[in-house]
Amino acid sequence: MIRLEGLGKTFGAYAAVSDLNLEVRPGEIFGFLGPNGAGKTTTVKMMTGLLRPTSGRVLIAGRDMAADPIAAKRAMGLVPDEPFVYPKLTGAEYLRFVGELYGVPLEGMRHRVSQLLEMFELTPWGGELLESYSHGMRQKLVLAGILLHEPKILVLDEPMVGLDPKSGRLVKDIFLKLAERGTAIFMCTHVLEIAEKLCHRIGIMIDGRMIACGTLEELRAASAAKQDGRDLESIFLSLTGGAEYSTLLKNL
Amino acid sequence: MLGTLLRRRARTFTNTIGHWTAYEWARNAAFGAAGFGLLFGLHYGFFRLLKYLSTIELIGLLLTWKLTAMLLLMTLSMVVVSSLLTALTTLFYSYDLKFLMKAPVSLRSVFLDKSLESAFFASWMIGLILIPYIAAIMRVQGLGPVYFAAFLAAFPPFLLLAASFGIGFTLLLLYLFPSSRTRDVVWVFSSLSLTVVYGLVRFAEPEKLIRPDALKVVAEYLNFLQAPTAPYLPSWWLAEALRMAAEGAWRGYAARVLGLWAAAFIVYGLLVALAGKVYFIGYSGAQEGALRKRTHGFKILPEQRILGTRSAAILLWKERTTFFRDVKHWSQILLIIGLVFVYLFSIQRLPLDSAELKSLVSFLNVGTAGFVLAALGLRFTFPAISLEGKSWWVLRSAPIDVGMIMREKLLFSAIPILSIAATLALMTNWILAADAFTSRLTLGALLTVGLAICVMGVGFGALFPNFTVENIHQIESSVGGFVYMAACLFYVGFTIAVLAAPMQMHFAERFGTGVWSSRVALYSGAGWLALNAVAMILPWTLGRRALENHE
Repeated sequence: MIRLEGLGKTFGAYAAVSDLNLEVRPGEIFGFLGPNGAGKTTTVKMMTGLLRPTSGRVLIAGRDMAADPIAAKRAMGLVPDEPFVYPKLTGAEYLRFVGELYGVPLEGMRHRVSQLLEMFELTPWGGELLESYSHGMRQKLVLAGILLHEPKILVLDEPMVGLDPKSGRLVKDIFLKLAERGTAIFMCTHVLEIAEKLCHRIGIMIDGRMIACGTLEELRAASAAKQDGRDLESIFLSLTGGAEYSTLLKNL
Repeated sequence: MLGTLLRRRARTFTNTIGHWTAYEWARNAAFGAAGFGLLFGLHYGFFRLLKYLSTIELIGLLLTWKLTAMLLLMTLSMVVVSSLLTALTTLFYSYDLKFLMKAPVSLRSVFLDKSLESAFFASWMIGLILIPYIAAIMRVQGLGPVYFAAFLAAFPPFLLLAASFGIGFTLLLLYLFPSSRTRDVVWVFSSLSLTVVYGLVRFAEPEKLIRPDALKVVAEYLNFLQAPTAPYLPSWWLAEALRMAAEGAWRGYAARVLGLWAAAFIVYGLLVALAGKVYFIGYSGAQEGALRKRTHGFKILPEQRILGTRSAAILLWKERTTFFRDVKHWSQILLIIGLVFVYLFSIQRLPLDSAELKSLVSFLNVGTAGFVLAALGLRFTFPAISLEGKSWWVLRSAPIDVGMIMREKLLFSAIPILSIAATLALMTNWILAADAFTSRLTLGALLTVGLAICVMGVGFGALFPNFTVENIHQIESSVGGFVYMAACLFYVGFTIAVLAAPMQMHFAERFGTGVWSSRVALYSGAGWLALNAVAMILPWTLGRRALENHE
């Protein structure tokens, strides 16, 4: 479904992403972890056609993003790290706009939009301008937008940021249900608990390189935290080197 | 604290330059050179004009200073209008205000920082254009660098005073009407009154006064030349200071300059004092969105009935909806309507007594109306791509081609601009009773100029996109905006040049002093086609490529 082949991106002399190879299969939820500045968002931008790779290629549902971007984008839905939307459109109008861009038939769109607004508890706000929405409400609206066109692939960059606990739970259930139906989900997150509970496989990136990739058990085996029962946080810190802050904490 | 805030600006500036790549250095140097060329061209034009005025016996100098006063009055009004528009976004909607407002920084410091930014963006470009004029005065009157230093000492308080009017109005508006709905209504009415005032000033026919033939006696004319131009406004104080510096009356100069500085300190100081009490109320009100339920029927859109194609139609609908819901655009539409009326009124009042002269002015109207269209293009077409702002990801990640986005922006912009172009051409030709050949030529030329200005606007807008900008004036006054405006001016100039040949042959034929040459007409037509091909294809292609690769 998603295939990254030797993907790389440099900004001048700085390599933000180097030689990234990855495949995410239908029905799989892939967690993409890494410290700030590791290259996760750059990867997401290259996957979704927002950024041109310096090397390698991105295949989305078999379509090369560089050669056939329209077909590749049609198969995909993106939730960016910051849900900026048109402030002068209402929630319902935004959904109609997105639906039309992705070729959702007008017949039935009204019903589907009203269903999605209700699901995300946005019905009372559906007729208000987006400039009056909070961050979490905009995040939910963007999620509703991608569910409207039912993509085969979801690319999510920190999808839980700003969501209240109830909406967070709803979104997690939606992801699991979509994966059951065969949707491939690529998710960047800093919330290790979510990655641990939702993701079938996890990749850890640091300094633009993927240093580990596999199931939780495979990662545990590869890390220094080999004891059974160690959580993803311990594995993540042992792989990315997070223990050195303890001396700094003493000086705080 | 203000020092810290200003230092961050200086640091941002040096960091930006410090991170330029070799390509960016070369590109900006090329644009800088183009800008310098444009300023030099302006200087040359001013020099020719002032040189001519200086040759007029007795009243040459009087005319020079009268012109200076009128130019400064125009500068003052332009900076006031510009600061009205800039202050609203800079003072109340800047991205960094959330950070500054929650930091332990006094409101006055934040106001100082933001109002100075607003004053700078509202005035720098208008101010820059005065420099070639001052340099022309210096050349004509043989004044040394001391005169330029005298100008530099007097100019900043003038600009600050002008910007303070707009900033003060906006500050009070948001304080008195914190509710967004009321504020919008007041904003539109203020713009409407500004348009009416502008119209009234114009309809009072001030040009009568600078035309000696319009006044009955020479003494009356001389009285006018010596009379102050709006004596209570800072533009007159600056004009007087500049005149006195040129005449070596340094005491009078110092008095005026001190007056300007004192007035600037008092007016701006009052604003800063006022800001401590009212700024936060306005800022808080600006955070509240207008709550007003709108229902969307999910019916076939008017755009879909016309265009059919789905993505293009929905993009156009989005553009129309978001544009007309933004009240800031309404004020500008009102100003444009006022501008068109004033333009046509000015044409109607031109003292033209022969049919030939009228036809000639009708042809030259392609140039002046072209400049008006270029100014509209800079305000509406060029920023269209950048105004997608941080929502750009929605379009970029959607299954649509960059070319389609550009075509939609072109269509949205071309409809009003071509309508204005047609109105200006048809009405001018009707007012001037231009002959059939001239009417057809100018209508065709202006429609093409309008289209080329739109195509270049979208092309240059795509070539210089800035999705993080928070103020439309920052887009207009950016390097890209400057290049676009320069390209438009050159294009309009070349259009006049290539169409001059058939026009000249037409006149020669009418007066019986020459004959129509099909060969010359063919060359002219080919030149016109080549000019339009370059003007439309080059920026569009480069812009599209740049937007596709934008990072």
